Amino acid sequence: MKIPKGRRLAAATLAVSTAMTLAACGEDEPKAASFDTITVMTRLFGTAPDPNGEMQQAIQKVVGKKLDITWVPNADYGEKLNVTLASNNIPDLLVADEKAPAFVQAATAGAFWDLTDKLDKYPNLKPASERVGLNSSINGKIFGIYRVRPELRSAVMIRKDWLAKVGLQEPQSVDDLYNVAKAFTEQDPDGNGKKDTYGLIIPKWPGFYASSSPYDTMETWFGAPNGWGERGGKLVPGFDTEEFIQANRFLKKWIDEGLVNKDFATLDSANWNDPFVQGKGGIIIDVNVRGTDLSVRMKDKNPKDFDKVTMVGNLKRSDGQKFSLPFTGYNNVVAISKQRIRTEDQLDDVLSALDKMQGKEGSALLSNGIEGRNYKLEDGKAVLINQDDPAVKIVQNDVDKAFIQLGTRASVGLGQYPFKYPDEPTQKLFDLRDTLMKEDLKTAVYNPALPVIAPTQVQKGQTLNLIVPDARIKFLSGAITEEQLRAEIKRWYSSGGTEVAQETNDLVSKLPK
Amino acid sequence: MATDLVPGVAPDTPKTQPRVPRVTRKSPARRLALLLRHRWLYLMLLPGVVYFLVFKYWPMYGLHIAFKDYIPFLGYSGSPWVGLKHFEELFTGGDFSRLMTNTLILALLTIVFVFPAPIVVALLLNELRVNIVKRSVQSLIYIPHFLSWTIVASLTYLLFSADFGVLAGYINDIFGGQRTDYVAQEEWFRPLIILQLLWKQTGWGTIIYLAALASVDTQLYEAARVDGAGRWRQLWHITLPAIRPAIVVMAILTSGNIMDTGFEQIWLMTSSLNRSVAEVFDTYVYYVGISQGAFSYGTAVGLFKGVVGVFLIVGSNWLAKRLGQRGLY
Repeated sequence: MKIPKGRRLAAATLAVSTAMTLAACGEDEPKAASFDTITVMTRLFGTAPDPNGEMQQAIQKVVGKKLDITWVPNADYGEKLNVTLASNNIPDLLVADEKAPAFVQAATAGAFWDLTDKLDKYPNLKPASERVGLNSSINGKIFGIYRVRPELRSAVMIRKDWLAKVGLQEPQSVDDLYNVAKAFTEQDPDGNGKKDTYGLIIPKWPGFYASSSPYDTMETWFGAPNGWGERGGKLVPGFDTEEFIQANRFLKKWIDEGLVNKDFATLDSANWNDPFVQGKGGIIIDVNVRGTDLSVRMKDKNPKDFDKVTMVGNLKRSDGQKFSLPFTGYNNVVAISKQRIRTEDQLDDVLSALDKMQGKEGSALLSNGIEGRNYKLEDGKAVLINQDDPAVKIVQNDVDKAFIQLGTRASVGLGQYPFKYPDEPTQKLFDLRDTLMKEDLKTAVYNPALPVIAPTQVQKGQTLNLIVPDARIKFLSGAITEEQLRAEIKRWYSSGGTEVAQETNDLVSKLPK
Repeated sequence: MATDLVPGVAPDTPKTQPRVPRVTRKSPARRLALLLRHRWLYLMLLPGVVYFLVFKYWPMYGLHIAFKDYIPFLGYSGSPWVGLKHFEELFTGGDFSRLMTNTLILALLTIVFVFPAPIVVALLLNELRVNIVKRSVQSLIYIPHFLSWTIVASLTYLLFSADFGVLAGYINDIFGGQRTDYVAQEEWFRPLIILQLLWKQTGWGTIIYLAALASVDTQLYEAARVDGAGRWRQLWHITLPAIRPAIVVMAILTSGNIMDTGFEQIWLMTSSLNRSVAEVFDTYVYYVGISQGAFSYGTAVGLFKGVVGVFLIVGSNWLAKRLGQRGLY
């Protein structure tokens, strides 16, 4: 057997190639500035819109500039963001998670404009809510315009017809919900004579601790802090509390009794709705927009008989006390890159354009679509029209799955005009969102540490972030005991968590009150 | 031991060319003449050299960010040097021992179960006398090689998950008890990975051994039969020695890849429940470097992995030579 000499090069270099793939980026000069076109990168939930399509044309007319938009599928966004930050092609407007380590490093190094004192003269860009504005900052400095979301979105979606079948009321407390799940599992709610249903549907959760997962929601109901909370005069992470353990002990009982889907650790979150729509499971704990979503899917499945979804808000714990999980009030920020935009004048030019985009007309376009084309106004509500026309269907899709992600003033769950659904059950679920939100906001548990990010978290996040969420799931599945779960929480502290906690306390105490 | 040829001199050097002893220095003029005489060969070599320089060596420049706190906006030159900080973090942080254990266990299982499989299958195929059967079996067992890992992982989930797994269902019917979620359990992670590897790669791996087997002189078998050797004797004394060089070369190449544990395959099979046994250097580099954006730390981990890989390949080559085999170089 003869091996050519070149093979030894090949073999040796093969071994180091993994290391190199990370490092293969050049350092060219940025392109010459031309601001007739603004480059943008944002999230996408469907197929990318046509750059010459109706929606893009309409929005460009409002803004007065051409837009060159990179649409990145939502599931890959975090990775694409990191790769983009490492490239020499950072778009002018970048939708980013402002607490992601790579973004924090880039922003503090000066890759993005510090907008803290610059937004006041743009009526549609300055923070509508001081609190949310502060939350979306990096230790008090604003590096992007936050994309607004409802302040509270958590809810419980339940199969209405199953509830009637087993003869239970809508749950008010966690114990009620347990009884519902138990009945859904054991009393054959679909009436097929087989014990083939279960209660709660939980998917593989892609996020970290305190990322509004069903687990986080349940913990908040039990009184655990939302992310960070005060215990004994200082801030501790929510998982270092007895309430956290109690909530998970409770949920473990569900899992042990088969009230939750068996593949809760592996079910792809993109298929979260499927067991619900297919009639396998009957409860989902998630954002309230999923209520209308499920109703629409039920309708697609059976247009004649689809009034099968009901929704309740946050639940009381056993002693009757109620703690609700609020959301941050925003989702990512739109940051402005310094790569092409070098001077204050250029910044003003881009901010003015963005201000127009987020004005009333632009907001309606981004969140509702083209009036008279895919919707019409009726008592201030948007009624969908012409949905059978393929061209209009494209407009509708482009709005719902793509352009709405560019909105900072009007966005998902907070469109410029509220929707008017063609059917009563879905409309009721939609209207219920507001009612439940107002009620639950009274008992909302806020996270005082949202505006800050500890330097150690930026440095060691990669080794810290998975410790607790992984241990939590392993405890729930029975792979580890409660003692081992507590030991993992200690391990978080000893792996750098102690510093994170100290720095978080210091940073929060320095925040403007 | 002494069967090795003089290193650096190809065995098929044309007879017309005078053999130059290695120790004597060639004069520059003579070198130039040689260069000119073989100019077309060198020209043909050029694309390969350029390929390696551009795609394999030039990017290695970026490796130095393992010794910096690299922030892309500051660029390579602007990011501060931090010495061995990232390596210290790797070795003293909690992840290292877990990564090393997982990587080594998977590598060991691969060597024990996956590496011999194609040899066994090739030997079995070689014993088949009906050519049409041999050919069709060969083609059939190649097919899985052409499926992507994504498909293999999906198939695994479909077969082994608790809720809808077909095979999981059968196993449950036969042995009873609670339905096991094979894809989510720690203890089933490694067996599944090895099964996937066997299913996907065994057939493909037989190619090289079958080629080696085809070159065995059939007269040897005839002679052995005349001497009264049975099938097993023939296998032991003729077939195996004949393909030994191929096995050694494959073993050296495999050992160099010990640290490469099939990124895609493992990444697709990882979940919160099995991460403690599933996380290996490859997936870790991706997770910290790309998902978490810790570029310098990720590069440091990758560099460490690469260095270990180089040592392993050099070491096993040396070992092969010590054992009287021809190495890779």
